[in-house]
Formats: sequence, C-alpha cells, structure tokens
Amino acid sequence: MLDGYQEAKFDHGRRRILAVEDDLINREILSLMLRDTYDVLTAETGRQALELLEKDCGTLSLMLLDLNLPDLKGIDILRRIKGNALTARLPVIVMTADQDAEVECLTLGATDFISKPYPKQEIVLARIRRTIELFEDRDLIRRTERDQLTGLYNREFFYRYAAQHDEYHPEEPTDAIMLDINHFHMINERYGRDFGDRVLKLVAEKLLAKVGDSDGIVCRREDDTFLIYCLHRSDYRQILDGVCMQMGTDYQIRARMGVYQDVDRSIEMERRFDRAKQAADSVKNSYSQSVGFYDDAMHEKELFMEQLLEDFHTAIREKQFTVYYQPKFDVRPEEPVLNSAEALVRWRHPRLGLISPGVFIPLFEQNGLIRELDSYVWREAAAQIRAWEERLGRRIPVSVNVSRIDLNDPPLLKMLEKIVDEAGVGRESFLLEITESAYTENAEQIISVVRSLRKNGFFIEMDDFGTGYSSLNMIATLPIDALKLDMQFIRTAFRDRKDTRLLETVIRLAQSLGLSTVAEGVETAEQMLTLKALGCDVVQGYYFSKPLPAEEFETFVREKCRRP
Amino acid sequence: MLTIDALRRLGANTEEGLGRCLNNEAFYLRLVNMSLHDAGFDKLAAAVESGDRKAAFEAAHALKGSLGNLALTPIYTPVAELTELLRGGQDADYKAMLETILLQRGALLALCEG
Repeated sequence: MLDGYQEAKFDHGRRRILAVEDDLINREILSLMLRDTYDVLTAETGRQALELLEKDCGTLSLMLLDLNLPDLKGIDILRRIKGNALTARLPVIVMTADQDAEVECLTLGATDFISKPYPKQEIVLARIRRTIELFEDRDLIRRTERDQLTGLYNREFFYRYAAQHDEYHPEEPTDAIMLDINHFHMINERYGRDFGDRVLKLVAEKLLAKVGDSDGIVCRREDDTFLIYCLHRSDYRQILDGVCMQMGTDYQIRARMGVYQDVDRSIEMERRFDRAKQAADSVKNSYSQSVGFYDDAMHEKELFMEQLLEDFHTAIREKQFTVYYQPKFDVRPEEPVLNSAEALVRWRHPRLGLISPGVFIPLFEQNGLIRELDSYVWREAAAQIRAWEERLGRRIPVSVNVSRIDLNDPPLLKMLEKIVDEAGVGRESFLLEITESAYTENAEQIISVVRSLRKNGFFIEMDDFGTGYSSLNMIATLPIDALKLDMQFIRTAFRDRKDTRLLETVIRLAQSLGLSTVAEGVETAEQMLTLKALGCDVVQGYYFSKPLPAEEFETFVREKCRRP
Repeated sequence: MLTIDALRRLGANTEEGLGRCLNNEAFYLRLVNMSLHDAGFDKLAAAVESGDRKAAFEAAHALKGSLGNLALTPIYTPVAELTELLRGGQDADYKAMLETILLQRGALLALCEG
C-alpha cells in the first residue's frame, strides 16, 4: 500500500539533486548511482554549490553535501543554507566518514547522513527518496495549514495547534489575544493592495518574532485580524507598540489588541478568542489605549448575552417578543397625515424585564437567529395590517426591517410573499427597510436580491442613511424607492448651530432620483417644519409619537389621525 | 595488466568496489587507474617528509574517501590509519606508514603499467 503510494508520488516528474563533492572519483560514483533516478547537478567546491543554489534552489529537491571541500567547510555551507530563507527548506543529506561531525550537522539542520565509503546504491537511493518524500509531505502540510500571504497558521490549524499548546503546557497560565489593524480596508483603498499586503506581512513578522520565542503561536484569521496563543506575559503594550510602525513617510500602522489573560480551559478554544475579541472591541474607539483586557464586566455581559441566546426559542414560543409600531406622517399636506408605521420589536423578558433591540439584535445577527426573529416580526406585522384594516376600516402600511443576514437567505422572496399572501395583505402595504450598510457588503448579491424583491412588488426603503460610509453615488444606482435618513443624521443637522445644508442636498438628490425621503428621530416642531420646508416627504419620531404597542397604536390612530 | 582478478589477488575488495560502480567493470577500472595516479599521493608524501601534519591530514583524508569507495583495501587501510592518527594529533612513525602506502600503491601501479 505504502509502496504504491510512494510510486504514485514519484510519478510526478523526476526530482533534481545537487551533489557537492570535490573528489572526482567519489563524484563519478555518486552520479552513476543516482543518474537513472534523478537529474543530478554537481558542484566541486563550496562556492560553486552556493552559486548553483542561488540560481536553482527552486528546482532542487535535495542536496548531498560532502563536509570536506577545498574552499569552504561543509559545516559553513550548511549554516548558510539554513540561515537563508530562500534555501532553508531544502533538505540536506551530509556525506561523511566522520561520526563526530554528525551531531553538529544535525544541530545545523542536516536531515540525514550517508556514510563514506558509500553504502550500496539501494541504500543511498532509499535514504534520498525517504528524505524527499518527507520534505514534500511537510511542504504540503505547510501549505495546507498556513496562510499563503504571511506564512502564519490559518484559522483551522491554529485552533488545533492551540489545543496542542494546552497539552504541552497543562499547568501554565496562557493568554488568548486578538489583534486588529485599524481601518485596514482604507489602507488597501488608499495605498493599493500591494501596500496592504506588505503591512500584513510586516505585522505577521513582528508578532511571530515577539511571541514565537516563548512557544507562542500566531494566526491570520481573516483579512486584518491576527490571533495569538501564548504563555501568559505582561508586555502586550510593547508588542503592540512594536507592531504600530511607521511605513514610508505618511502611513503608520495602527492596531488594537484584545487580551484574554489566563484563559479558562474549560471553555472552547474559539470562545476564548471571542473573549479576546470582546476585549479588542472595548478599545475600538479609543485612540490612546489600544490594548483592552477581558474583565469581569465583559464576563458579566457575556453571561447576559448567553442567557439571551438560551432564552430565544422560549421567547419566540411564548411570544415574549412584542411588536411596537411608530407612526410615520406624510408632512407634505398642510396638516400631516398618517402615512404608515414602522414595526419595532421589543423583548419583554419574564425575568430581565424589557430588553432593548440595540442589545439583542446585533447578538442575533451574529449567529443567524435574526432570521427567525425577523420572520416572527414580519408575520406579526402582516397580521396586524390585516387586523387594523378590519377594525379601523383603513389600511395602514407597515415597514419591517430586513437584516443583511436575511438577504443572504435564498428563499427570502418566497417567504415574504407567503407571509403577505397568507395575511391577505397587498405587497404595497408591506414595506421593507434594508440598512444602508448591507449594500456595502457583498454589494452585487444584495443588489440582485433587492432588485428581485422590488420587481415582485415590494417597496424598499434604505434604512439608516447617513450612518455608514454613505455614498451619494451609490443611491443613484441602487434599486430602492425611499431613502430613510437616520436619526443621528437629523440630530447632527439640528445640533448647536443648526446646519441643514447637507440634509437639504440629500433631500434634493433623492427628489431628483425620484426617491421619497423619510426622516426618523424627529423630536421637535422646529425639526419637523424645517424638514417639511426642505422637501422631506415623511417624518417619524417622538414629535408625533413614540413606538406603541398595537392596541395603543390603534387608539392613537382613532383619536389623532384623520383620514387622508 | 589492471584487471579485476589482479586487483583481487592484491587484496582489493573488488566485489564491494564494483558494487558501488553498479558492476560496471570498465567504469570501475577506469576509476581505479585515476585513483592510483591521484596527485594526492605526492602531496601526502611531501607533507609527511616536511613534517606538515595539517597538510598531511588533508591529503590523507582526501585519498581515504576515494580509496574507500573503490575498496582498494591494501592502500585504503594504511591511509585510513594514517588519517585517524593525524586527526588525533598523535605521534607516530608517519614516514614508515607513508612507505607502506607508497609500496602498496607501487604494486597496484605496476598492474596498470604491466
């Protein structure tokens, strides 16, 4: 079985060997032994060997090295080969009659020995073959487990080696660290991908140099995120300082680090790094302090989040999630007219009380539970539109949030159609709010999904406009019907010295593209009137009403909303 | 005449030497001939005569390699012994040893010229 495997491997072309031997007779014998199996290059002197290596190392599978050469000592050649990154991985078999030299050669990285006088041809060939196979296998493993760009472990193998690290150091305190380069996507955009790659390589080198000596292991998890697992140490600020280098004249690497010290070995490896990430996220917006340490408060938060995840399905089953409705008013007529409502979910937890969506939505987005929650909200909202229609005698359109996670779900359109059809609600009454940032990630896929939703009769509002990397150019090309200006955008415009110029520009641009504009977070009459004057179509916010449970919303409509 | 039988008669381990040459007799005999005419013998003689042990060691060590591979035992054995003594820096009657080596070489050379 093994032989078959070996044969098969060596079918992939002849290997090339460099034989370094100054004695002509020995060289002749060696060449004779090898030439039927290998392409043999020969060198008579150490210098000749080094020249050949420089030129042809990439084509060589092995080097046979005589230790006694007329110019350079074989030991020195070995030292040079192993000290040069380009040649270090070439396996070297030393040919010697001197057993004393063997220890030194092994220390310097020789792989094997062939004694002198030479053993039988079969033995020489077998040793060479085994060494080449070993190195080729090792290279294959290396390529599989490493990140091509930096040479660091990739994520999957890193976790395995980290587990092995635990076994080697069962008692010693160990730390899990995450390092993230700040605004890396901007580096690529501004200086080009090659420069970005150089930054990544440099960071990788620095990290490896710092922690590699203390048995630490390093991985590039994704684009600009590095993980480190090492015995506990206290010089993380210095490590980070070492990474944050000046590159060229106008760029300095900036990064943040999260450290989970003395990891709890009873929790899974990946979760240890989740904690390191939490610590890194805690210093995300701070300029001066860039190393965050996982602490009790974070632990409490983690336990709280775990509790929420654990309780999610019970909450769905027991209808603990309540949909609130916040009215949106058409402000174009002289008197504002109820236009629609936005469905907003709240969690009435039996023990923890009312939980803000700001807490649980990002959490559910992280692990995909948002899909279940969203479809729950969509069903509730669709049923509510129908119920109001029956009780109030009017149809009040409701907008629902569609998470970016939902947009990656292929049956999304079918699911939405089923929900509105089953509720007997027209698609024009079921508005979809899709957050602006969803368009910037995986843009083509998202755009194609949104386009098909729109083609099938759904009305699309781009939510949170003005919070992310808003691109005016982007809104001109996206398949949307309305632009929803984020609360923060409105607040900024009306803060301190009122400056609504940007607001005005965006509203005008939307108008010119035939998009309607919705402003949320409107709290005062002044804001409402200004927006109206600027040409905004629809306004939502505490000025009209806070989000209300369905029954209260119904009362609100009965008492305060005249029919259009 | 230099033949396998003649070499065997003079004590060479021709089976071993030929084996290394994949039993190619002509190839083996060509290398034996080259080996007996190796300038290393002259270097060794000069170094031993002048008492330069370092140069003597280098010359002996180089000769030992090829003589060993060709299994020319009558010369290989004294050359190997000389090499090890020189490596250890020991005092010995190197001139007498050289004489043995040259004598053995002479006997083999006579085959080449016969």
